[in-house]
Amino acid sequence: MTQIAADPIAPEPHAPDFDAVPGAQVKGRSPWQLFWSRFRKDRVALVGLAFLALLVLIALTAPLIADLVGHDPNDRFQREMTDEFGLPKGPNGEFWFGADQVGRDVFVRVAYGARTSLMVALFATGVALGIGTVLGMVAGYRGGWVDTAVSRTVDIILSMPVLLFAIGIVAACSTTAEGCLGGLVKPGLPLVVFVISVFSWPYVARIVRGQTLSIREKEFIEASRSMGAGGGRIMFREVLPNLMAPIIVYGTLLIPTNVLFEASLSFLGLGVPQQIPSWGRMIADGGALFDVAWWLMLFPGLFLLATTLAFNLVGDGLRDALDPRTQA
Amino acid sequence: MRLRRSRGILAVAAAVALLAAACGGEEQPRQEGQDGDLSGGALRIQMESFVFECNFDPTCEFVSYALMMQTNSFLRPLMNYRHVADDPGLEILPDLAADMPEISEDGLTYTFTLKDGVMFGPPVNREITSQDVAYAFQRMASQQQGNPYTYYYEGVVEGFELQKSPAEDIEISGIETPDDKTISITLANAVPDILFRLAMPATAPIPQEVASCFPQSGEYGRFVISSGAYMFEGSEDLDISSCESMEPIAGYEPDRTLNLVRNPNYDPATDNPEMRSNNPDRFELSVNTNVDDIFNKIVAGEADSSPDDPPAKFLRQFADDRERLPINPVDVLWYIGMNLTQAPFDDIHVRKAVNLAIDKDGLLRAAGGSLVGGVATHILPPTMGGPEAEDYDPYATSGFAGDADLAKEEMAQSAYDTDGDGICDAPECSGILHISRNEAPWTEFNPIIEDNLEAIGIELETREIEGGVAYELVSTTSENVPIASHAGWGKDWPDASTFFEALFTSGAIQAGAGVNNNVGLVGITSEINEERELGIEGNLGDIPSVDVHIEECIAMELGQARIDCFNEVDRTLMEEVVPYVPYRWDLESHLISENIAKWEFDQNAGEMSFAHIAVAS
Repeated sequence: MTQIAADPIAPEPHAPDFDAVPGAQVKGRSPWQLFWSRFRKDRVALVGLAFLALLVLIALTAPLIADLVGHDPNDRFQREMTDEFGLPKGPNGEFWFGADQVGRDVFVRVAYGARTSLMVALFATGVALGIGTVLGMVAGYRGGWVDTAVSRTVDIILSMPVLLFAIGIVAACSTTAEGCLGGLVKPGLPLVVFVISVFSWPYVARIVRGQTLSIREKEFIEASRSMGAGGGRIMFREVLPNLMAPIIVYGTLLIPTNVLFEASLSFLGLGVPQQIPSWGRMIADGGALFDVAWWLMLFPGLFLLATTLAFNLVGDGLRDALDPRTQA
Repeated sequence: MRLRRSRGILAVAAAVALLAAACGGEEQPRQEGQDGDLSGGALRIQMESFVFECNFDPTCEFVSYALMMQTNSFLRPLMNYRHVADDPGLEILPDLAADMPEISEDGLTYTFTLKDGVMFGPPVNREITSQDVAYAFQRMASQQQGNPYTYYYEGVVEGFELQKSPAEDIEISGIETPDDKTISITLANAVPDILFRLAMPATAPIPQEVASCFPQSGEYGRFVISSGAYMFEGSEDLDISSCESMEPIAGYEPDRTLNLVRNPNYDPATDNPEMRSNNPDRFELSVNTNVDDIFNKIVAGEADSSPDDPPAKFLRQFADDRERLPINPVDVLWYIGMNLTQAPFDDIHVRKAVNLAIDKDGLLRAAGGSLVGGVATHILPPTMGGPEAEDYDPYATSGFAGDADLAKEEMAQSAYDTDGDGICDAPECSGILHISRNEAPWTEFNPIIEDNLEAIGIELETREIEGGVAYELVSTTSENVPIASHAGWGKDWPDASTFFEALFTSGAIQAGAGVNNNVGLVGITSEINEERELGIEGNLGDIPSVDVHIEECIAMELGQARIDCFNEVDRTLMEEVVPYVPYRWDLESHLISENIAKWEFDQNAGEMSFAHIAVAS
């Protein structure tokens, strides 16, 4: 019992390890070892993980990349890389991904765009996970009016036309420097993170609430209660550890959604300011020139696709590896 | 006029001048046969937005395309133009007036006789009288309108004063209508360009029985009754039996469509064929927010033309084809405007530093290069200022690329640079609201502008918004916008005064949404701010004024001395007031479909000429 309660990864009894060398002594493996050996077999997920590692590396070393190439993301090389009509020139020896309409290096901007996408998506997802977990857990554990209140809020937010709302808010709050609500709501990075978080936490809350409902009926919870533990202690010491698996999985699957969300907001002109490179904005700005400057859309588009795909693959792999009911 | 297209040559190579000369008076090949064969068909126009800043209400509408439509096809003021290219298009001629006016001996009273048989379109269906012309002036004088034209007539027409009363109750002592066909206008003092002022569509006759129901600015825009060759489609269905019964005319749906059809009451015998050919049967304007799609459609023949500037790739595609891409010189300036009451732009050193920092060549390139115009080095386009003004460049930098070092030297003299290192470092130097537009080429200007100003420590918070909204916002005094790059300005008539009166006199500063074109607030004082309830919050002390100088120039007879006078005002503004960073004088390029059988350009309006264009039918 103790072992299971303390085991944050797999609340169910472990399946026997069929990979053990026949005849050798059966060694007990830790839950992490089991998880890793299962995950490792998912080749596709490993490729995804490798790409994400590369992406994180690019994001972290973007300034270094800019230094090596010799172009900052906002350096304009209009005279060298745009023609007499202001149209950009394509990939060459010095500008590997070509230049944009004001002569900026697309390769360097794609690298910096990785930062924007990862930062926004990770941060916003983190906030959403935090809020969603707490509210979902409290709603599932307490039940009653708390559950009703949270669940109805979740329903309302999930039925809102997100992008229309975002468009409306930004349009209304972009005509003055201070924006709305005395400076709280104005176009820019904080607003993007805020919008994404607000519309993401309900997904997490729903899942967490569901898991909490089933966990709360378990005997070890009853045991804790009968030993005198209070609700808060039970939630955070007993329930939460058992939620980690689904949280990790859904968090990982939520990230690509939020990467695309940020890209969509930027595409609509509602995202980060133009000096901060964003794949979504680059795709939007490149759209009108697709037939004469294909590189403007292609490179940020490919990276966006690859990132989203990689997160999805890793997330699927995590889910398969963490849920012992599926055969690896 | 606030224009989206502009003109200007100057710094551009001889190639452009050659182009301009070649394009100027050239007519597109006509179809075989007489003029009658050009008649008929529908001209289909698509635009990214109407940009009407006063909903097409002639009393307050300022956008050049609307002015072109109104003077060419919709309304008939006392005077008008031929609506053709170059100098012939700048000559003033009688339109509603039967002839040039009789001028009194003291030169102050102009008496016009109206033509017979000029009628309002349906549903008003009656002959136009002199009282209808007087009523147009009364509407301009009514403060309920919030009208940007007042300064053109206040102090010019005797007794014309902005008042809080409804138009119907206003009496202007200088305007007399002894009978239905006679109107005499008495001036407060000699104003040599008065005939041009009487060609503004705001002075065209307005039927009181309809317009009195719509006293607020812009309201009448959906009910405009035609006095010209065309009218809103569906005008006949308007029920004018009472104010309550009037529903907006179907032919104009704001932000969506605007259709003009022939006015059945129009009699070509009352008109001058040099001024109007009236070829198409219909004009169909529609909004298409996808600029790329607009021009793809024009290339494919699914639309015929657009007032929007063709994106660079279309310029490149048709660079050598003057039939599909006619280019006309036009008097328009594109500029970055700074509000003299808002920090840090209340310091002249900062404004000068900004002028030195901006990469004008980069902005021109981003807009499409030499086919769209030339770098502007001062305010008055050289086509209006003459050859003496051509080389004047008070903030010269190598290759017009801006010079951060020179800019820093200037900035170092400002109190906002507390340590004198050339970088603005006071708290007022950051978080500065900058209004720009959310379409190309402004989306490409912003990286350049933001970067240029960051180099001298000025951090902008750029907001990219729709053109019409941008104009309305920045032209509202109570919004206190510090800096804006959305705007262009073109002449209202062929005289340099139109570049100065509306933009730089204190008299032009009015309260109300979207009516103030003196966005720099040149000449403002706290007394004016209080008296006119402008809602300006900022530094109102010691704002320079050029009122007296401009007044002197306006009083001069038309001719070289008058032009010289305005050139001097230009210099004073550029060196001692510095409200603008001028960056482009425009060339007007249009991409037109193969359906267009005859191209014509309205030199005064700076737009395509509805009056003479023809479509294959």
